[in-house]
Amino acid sequence: MAALLEATGLQASYGPTRVLHGFDFAVEEGGITTILGANGAGKTTTLRAVCGMVKTQGAITFQGARIDGKATEDIVRLGIAHVPDGRGTFVNLSVEENLRLGAYARRSRAGVEQVFERMYAYFPRLKERRRQQAGTLSGGEQQMLAIARALMLGPRLLLMDEPSFGLAPLIVREIFGIMRTINRDEKVSILLVEQNASLALDLADHAYLIETGRMVMSGASKTIQNDESVRRSYLGY
Amino acid sequence: METFLHQVFSGLATGGIYASIALALVMIYQATHHINFAQGEMAMFATYISWSMINAGMPYWAAFFITIVIAFVAGVLIERIVVRPVENSPVISVVIVFIGLLVIINSCAGWIFTYTIKSFPSPFPATPPFGSNLVSFHELGSMAITLGLLTALFLFFRFTPLGLAMRAAAQNPVSSRLVGIRVGWMLALGWGLAAAIGSVAGMMVAPIVFLDPNMMSGILLYGFAGALLGGIDNPWGAVAGGFIVGVLENIAGAYIVGTELKLTVALVVIIVTLVIKPGGLFGRTFVTRV
Amino acid sequence: MAATTETSAVAAGGYAGLSARTWRVIGVLAAVAIACAAPFTMTNYHIFQLTLTLVYAIAVLGLNLLTGFNGQISLGHGAFYALGAYTTAILMDHYGVPYWATLPAAGAVCLVFGFLFGLPALRLEGHYLALATFALALATPQLLKYKLFEDFTGGVQGIVLLKPDPPFKLPINADQWLYLFVLAITIAMFILAWNLLRGRLGRAMIAIRDHPIAASAMGVNTALYKSLTFGISAMFTGIAGALGAIAVQFVAPDSFDLFLSIRFLVGVAIGGLATISGAFFGAAFIEFIPNVADQISKAAPWAIYGIFLIVFMYVMPTGVVGMIRVLWGKLRRAIAGRPEGVAAR
Repeated sequence: MAALLEATGLQASYGPTRVLHGFDFAVEEGGITTILGANGAGKTTTLRAVCGMVKTQGAITFQGARIDGKATEDIVRLGIAHVPDGRGTFVNLSVEENLRLGAYARRSRAGVEQVFERMYAYFPRLKERRRQQAGTLSGGEQQMLAIARALMLGPRLLLMDEPSFGLAPLIVREIFGIMRTINRDEKVSILLVEQNASLALDLADHAYLIETGRMVMSGASKTIQNDESVRRSYLGY
Repeated sequence: METFLHQVFSGLATGGIYASIALALVMIYQATHHINFAQGEMAMFATYISWSMINAGMPYWAAFFITIVIAFVAGVLIERIVVRPVENSPVISVVIVFIGLLVIINSCAGWIFTYTIKSFPSPFPATPPFGSNLVSFHELGSMAITLGLLTALFLFFRFTPLGLAMRAAAQNPVSSRLVGIRVGWMLALGWGLAAAIGSVAGMMVAPIVFLDPNMMSGILLYGFAGALLGGIDNPWGAVAGGFIVGVLENIAGAYIVGTELKLTVALVVIIVTLVIKPGGLFGRTFVTRV
Repeated sequence: MAATTETSAVAAGGYAGLSARTWRVIGVLAAVAIACAAPFTMTNYHIFQLTLTLVYAIAVLGLNLLTGFNGQISLGHGAFYALGAYTTAILMDHYGVPYWATLPAAGAVCLVFGFLFGLPALRLEGHYLALATFALALATPQLLKYKLFEDFTGGVQGIVLLKPDPPFKLPINADQWLYLFVLAITIAMFILAWNLLRGRLGRAMIAIRDHPIAASAMGVNTALYKSLTFGISAMFTGIAGALGAIAVQFVAPDSFDLFLSIRFLVGVAIGGLATISGAFFGAAFIEFIPNVADQISKAAPWAIYGIFLIVFMYVMPTGVVGMIRVLWGKLRRAIAGRPEGVAAR
């Protein structure tokens, strides 16, 4: 069965600097895949490459069709939602306006109000604060807002960039729990980029490790978790 | 006392026009971080188009609304065709392109419509309202129209999905793309709206200052001064600034420097604002919510 | 080995045994020689056009110091040109000061006013500054016509000046003398600019343009240098204005409108930001293109001008000098027979 998202020979550059040197990976339908690695390894760049935010070479296919070279807003409309690093919140707009923007590119206008209700059910704190200016939310709440906004699109694939960054452990655990629920109940596949390897491996089915733009290992996350030498050399625990 | 009040009302009427131009400038600035130096000329040209239609026999209000539509379309086209290639160029290149636009439009207006001063009709009755000489119907009508326009814009930005998308695109283009907003077209729309606003300002001011190709340069300057005074990042501030500048101009012109130095008043406002409070009266602390 | 010596000489920009620097000096000297000989080969009208081109070159250089080298945009330099022109006119007409003696006065007045304007202007960047200087440009004609100053400025009619005669009974006509006089001043001003830029002031200016915060952190008094640059830039343009007044023999308020300021900015952009030699190309554009535009369309010449402007910004954003440098680089690499990108700089 063809994967939902597949990349072959992916290279990416910022201007003259090459950051990814031929990375192959795939996300299966309904699965959770994680990309792990140290700072600067190229994880964020990989997600940006999928969304058309950096210059790329190599092929990226989504649901069988090529998406490399397309504009970000067109890729999004195909059903890929990206929760960027730094959350990307519209800080001067209210929580509700942020969510409404998430639904901007939905395939069908019908059912937007139900989606709002579902998001408020997942994230009750957002419902409390819905008229509040988004920039005044705490880090954890902004992360939840970012995820909810992405889900308002009704995507097939969710790209998550370091959701644990800068958040307290309890909040992180909550968010990862929600991600599991979303994957199961909303039938959304997830491509997760993370520095917190243990949490990511617990959540994901499949993992890739990259180092300075090249893949050094891939496999089922259980296998990687159980391999002590890999854990110690690449994941630091 | 009556003359003073009259000056104030006059000032508010012209202030409404400056407020519209200031708003148009701030909108484009917020969306693109560029100041459109050609804003005045675009408004002037639109007013000439309206004049041509009225001269050809079209009723005033029909010409009014058709002109607004034409101005809107022109604004969109100008952004897509002329401005887009230099979107990411250094500031001086962009400024020069805007200046080039200014010069082209100004020159074409002179060529097509000649430099003879023309009169432009006001849709409002000429007799003073309630027999008083405090304020004319045109001044009242101008204020009503500009306020109505500004209210419509507020409602558009606050309550419609497109307005929300435009605000988002101006504040955070990267995140906007991530929710599927076509940021480039939002910019073009912003230009279209600004051009439409400018055309209304032009049609409101032409009956007062008479129509000629150089009609708007002074008004543009007052619009700038208003926008700067109010805080160039802040649409509400721009509106308030425009009204303040209108009143100031009239009072200063009548009591302090005489009508010949009115433009200098604008220059002084700009310099004083910059020296004392560069962020404008309503600076950055005001949450932008148009 | 022979190959290495040759390629390293070419890599250093040299050709036929001489270094790039020597070639540049030769080029400048040749240009000056041609410039000196020029007035004796053409009609008085053409000499006048060349004289004006030199005047504009000084003005454009002044603006480039501010905008190109220091990053402060000015749409109002016409005001300083006017100030210099009127200073000269008033001194010559009301006080009988000889034309050459008015130049330092015009320069000094503009230096002071430029510095004073630069003080509040320092807080502005990019578009805001362009806006403030735009206001200055628009206000200038009104100020010049103002009744209170009429006794000095001659109001709307302006002031008429007499063309200076060649000194020491030299066997040349007045136009030729004027041209040579302006040429001498031009050369002096350009050398002055070149020296300023090479020294401490120049380095501070450029540092402020590129990284104002870093410059400040390194102890550069940003405020002082920015205002100083404004003043110096105004001085250059003011001296150009003085020379312009003498050449045209006339000053009147409407000649110093917004479009004059626009012309100077255009000259900077066409010639090339942050280049000294660009001023000549810019000045030539200002002086001669309007005639070309006129020939293309009698009815709307400025429209053609505007189109030229926009196209230039799309096609040659670094100006003529920028384009020349790019082409020269390619030519050099082609001569050396090396693949592009290897000749590092």
